Amino acid sequence: MKPKIVLGIVSIVLFTSLLMVNFGNSISTYVTFDQADDRNSSHVIGVWDKSRESGFSRETMSFSFFMEDEEGNVRRVVYPRPKPNNFEQATQLVVVGEMRNEVFYANEMLMKCPSKYNDASEADFVNAESAMGVEE
Amino acid sequence: MEGVTGHLFVSAAFLTALISMILYGVTSRREHRTLERSAHLLWTASALCTLVASGLLVWLIMNHRFEYFYVWNYTSTDLETMYLFSAFWGGQEGSFMLWILFAFVIGLLLIRTTGKPYRSPVMFVMALTQVFLLSMLLGWDIAGLNLGASPFRTIAQELANAPFIQANPDFVPDDGTGLNDLLQNPWMMIHPPVIFIGFSMMTVPFAFAIASLWTQQYQDWIRPALPWTLAANLCLLTAIFLGGYWAYETLSFGGYWAWDPVENASFVPWLIGTAGIHMMIIQKKSSRAHKGAIFLAILAYIAIVYQTFLTRSGVLAEQSVHSFVDLGLYNQLLLFMLVTLAMGAGFYLYRFRELPSPDRESAVLSREFMTFTGGMMLFVLAMVIILGTSSPIIGRLFVDHPTPPAIEFYNNWSMPIAMVMALLTVVGQYLFWQKYNWESLSAALVTPLLLTSAATILTIVLGDIRSIYYMVYLFCAWFTVAGNGAVMIRLIRRKPALIGGALSHVGFGALLLGILASSAYNEVLLDDRGQNYNRMIDEGELFDENGFPVTQKVEIFELVLNQPRKIGDRYMVTYEGYRITDSPRPGQQQYRIRFEPLDGGKPFTMTPDVYPMQTTSGPGQIEWSVDPDVRMRPLNDLYMYVAGSAYVDGINEQVSGESSGGRIGESTVMDSDSGLPDEHPSLEEEESEGQTLRFNRGEPIEAGPWRFIFRDFVPVSEESLPENTVIGVRALIEAHHVPSGEAYELEPLFSVYTDEGSSWTWTPPLEIERWDLEVSFSSIVPEEDAIEITFRGLDEEYEEDWVVIVAEKKPFVSVVWLGTFLLMAGFAISIFRHADRFFGKEE
Repeated sequence: MKPKIVLGIVSIVLFTSLLMVNFGNSISTYVTFDQADDRNSSHVIGVWDKSRESGFSRETMSFSFFMEDEEGNVRRVVYPRPKPNNFEQATQLVVVGEMRNEVFYANEMLMKCPSKYNDASEADFVNAESAMGVEE
Repeated sequence: MEGVTGHLFVSAAFLTALISMILYGVTSRREHRTLERSAHLLWTASALCTLVASGLLVWLIMNHRFEYFYVWNYTSTDLETMYLFSAFWGGQEGSFMLWILFAFVIGLLLIRTTGKPYRSPVMFVMALTQVFLLSMLLGWDIAGLNLGASPFRTIAQELANAPFIQANPDFVPDDGTGLNDLLQNPWMMIHPPVIFIGFSMMTVPFAFAIASLWTQQYQDWIRPALPWTLAANLCLLTAIFLGGYWAYETLSFGGYWAWDPVENASFVPWLIGTAGIHMMIIQKKSSRAHKGAIFLAILAYIAIVYQTFLTRSGVLAEQSVHSFVDLGLYNQLLLFMLVTLAMGAGFYLYRFRELPSPDRESAVLSREFMTFTGGMMLFVLAMVIILGTSSPIIGRLFVDHPTPPAIEFYNNWSMPIAMVMALLTVVGQYLFWQKYNWESLSAALVTPLLLTSAATILTIVLGDIRSIYYMVYLFCAWFTVAGNGAVMIRLIRRKPALIGGALSHVGFGALLLGILASSAYNEVLLDDRGQNYNRMIDEGELFDENGFPVTQKVEIFELVLNQPRKIGDRYMVTYEGYRITDSPRPGQQQYRIRFEPLDGGKPFTMTPDVYPMQTTSGPGQIEWSVDPDVRMRPLNDLYMYVAGSAYVDGINEQVSGESSGGRIGESTVMDSDSGLPDEHPSLEEEESEGQTLRFNRGEPIEAGPWRFIFRDFVPVSEESLPENTVIGVRALIEAHHVPSGEAYELEPLFSVYTDEGSSWTWTPPLEIERWDLEVSFSSIVPEEDAIEITFRGLDEEYEEDWVVIVAEKKPFVSVVWLGTFLLMAGFAISIFRHADRFFGKEE
């Protein structure tokens, strides 16, 4: 084989492996609050626990609320920004941050909304429908 | 009735497109004039059917026919006409329709302009994609198998299980649920059509690439395909720009780009298309790189179908805020993607050995090599971004339930790749127009390099750049601007029509500069308290009550009405009040924030808005959205929004019914500018109770526009009181009306008398008629040496008016836009250059 081709293949292999290793390191897995205890940075999926207190504190300039994760554990989440748009509307929340002493400090928060293109009430319908196994 | 008609027209469009596809397939294999003409006719018929169906959908929307799900779901009676019209493409089904319509128009153009032997196979591919797209709108139910989601389905069909439909199947709602408030924006109106024009144009190079493989004519396809690809890319770039500008100007994301999966999904086809353009240019100029050009032309369209699949099938739902609601089209979309992929890969591999390859390798210092490498870098960047965006799928190789990659993944890879590209553009452009060897090239590059070094050093000094990595990056970016600029100036003297490439590359350089400045040197503006807090976090001095170091920085600051505060060591910032504008949305408020530069610059006022989202707010809960104000200047953008305010808090408490006792007066909302109360009738009742404030002697209290001081007790002469009075005392209250400057002294009476063995208090109110304020001395708190005064008619609760502000200084966002515009201009010029022969005559 020509040395050029060998060189080409080697560099492609090198590039790809470097890329994949870096990619593997930069993603992580969604965890529960319990698992988040031993980690530095975690993604936790859950829903807002509306029955408990939530609100923006002007004292600490942060928004805090209670979130229930997929295993049903409820923890307080502190988010150092005002309550985001669409918070109430979100059918699911993803908080990214660190768990310390039963409190989750979220640096980032993603809201899964039914869709940007429609509204909450419709999502209820969609859920209700799929629960009954009916599709148009 | 109209629904059935629309449904029939969509079905007819599908069937005619299907037949025309078959006919085109036949005539691609064997020439047959009559059959080809029939196929053209069927294509036109299919286009007309789609046009009628679209017109019908628009008509249903315009006439508020809420018995149709699409109309009900995306519009409402109060929507402005232009948004009503744009609701046509506001939903998934309508946007497919728009895409199909554009593709039909392009097909009609292709029928006229494409010569043999490509015409039939090109139209076969076009028809194939139309068949798939139309199938998404069919709404057929064949033996339990659902095919597509019809935009003409009724509410009764869509929500068959909803209680109100079961009770009354003919139920027609009075109003729709409305278009999402965030989309009621002129930028968002034109964004989708531009995207779909780009998508449908990108079908053309794909079709030509397949046609060239089919007919084994590997050279001539490039002439029509290149201008179409350029045009498609111009549209995609414009759409990306519109989306970014909209996100920046109307959303509180705080930026124009967030590596969101949907943003990436629009960026990747553009990158691959641009890579393809590079290959096509080599092929056109030097009859080389056929393999690369055909490969990328195919891949660009596959990337579009893949992005459609990602955003519309629901797989991205967890990761992106942009994705469409899942319509159950997963399987159809997957099939669409697999068929385009199989067709592309099949044709390509089948003919691969036959594809022309150059007799000898290009020299490193040749325009072919440089342009090819540039194209490859664009392709590699596209692959990196696809990898990141596909993390829900590919990430499973590493972990069970993968999250999207950290933003750094994108930044860390795209920056070095962009730097290599930057250097390649200059060398490539020099070599493109003239032959050089290493020596002559070095000589030619002396001036640009000198300019680059000067600009880089100046930037480093003026911008106080510390990172070596950024310095190298800056050098690359300036080199792109200077080098390509030099080439461009030479070309302008020779033949200005040729500057498309050089101009795009200058734009790319400007974009690189702007991106670094606006993202890496973005500054969050804070007051002293916030700055200190963050400094302590940086130094690890701050601990929470459990002894853990605090890591969350503050990014917001608070302003109290008319109390100036120093922000970012740069401005004296004052909250001057708000106004309920009700415009353009009911309940919208505009806040006035005055900035006085400390360096003595001219003061200015920013007016961010907050408004309740109409479509998502209900009784018991209001959802607020912000409309940032951006002060755009060539050097710096000042970006800010109101993240919270006393007014919004008050309304929220009212609505949720949680308003605690003692906080009466929340209800009346005062325009602190004019002093006119904004009436909220629901709480007028509470108002009559009045508001009671506790006063200590000599301590002023501010309430609304008033400033009160309790000076002292005033003894009361016994004669003025009823006989059986036990206690009688007056309080000297000074009342100062701040806005008007008027002052009053009042002496309300507090007395206790006995009547038939019981004690009664008698506290007759005094009135300041001018301001409609009643003051009464309601009780004495002897243990605190305090008294309580009750006011009726106070315009505002005692709580001070405040706002919470997010403000950021973003340097050189203007350069990002400038770079984008230059890129667009470069593409536009290139289209004309490469299209003149194409549109001029039939091949």
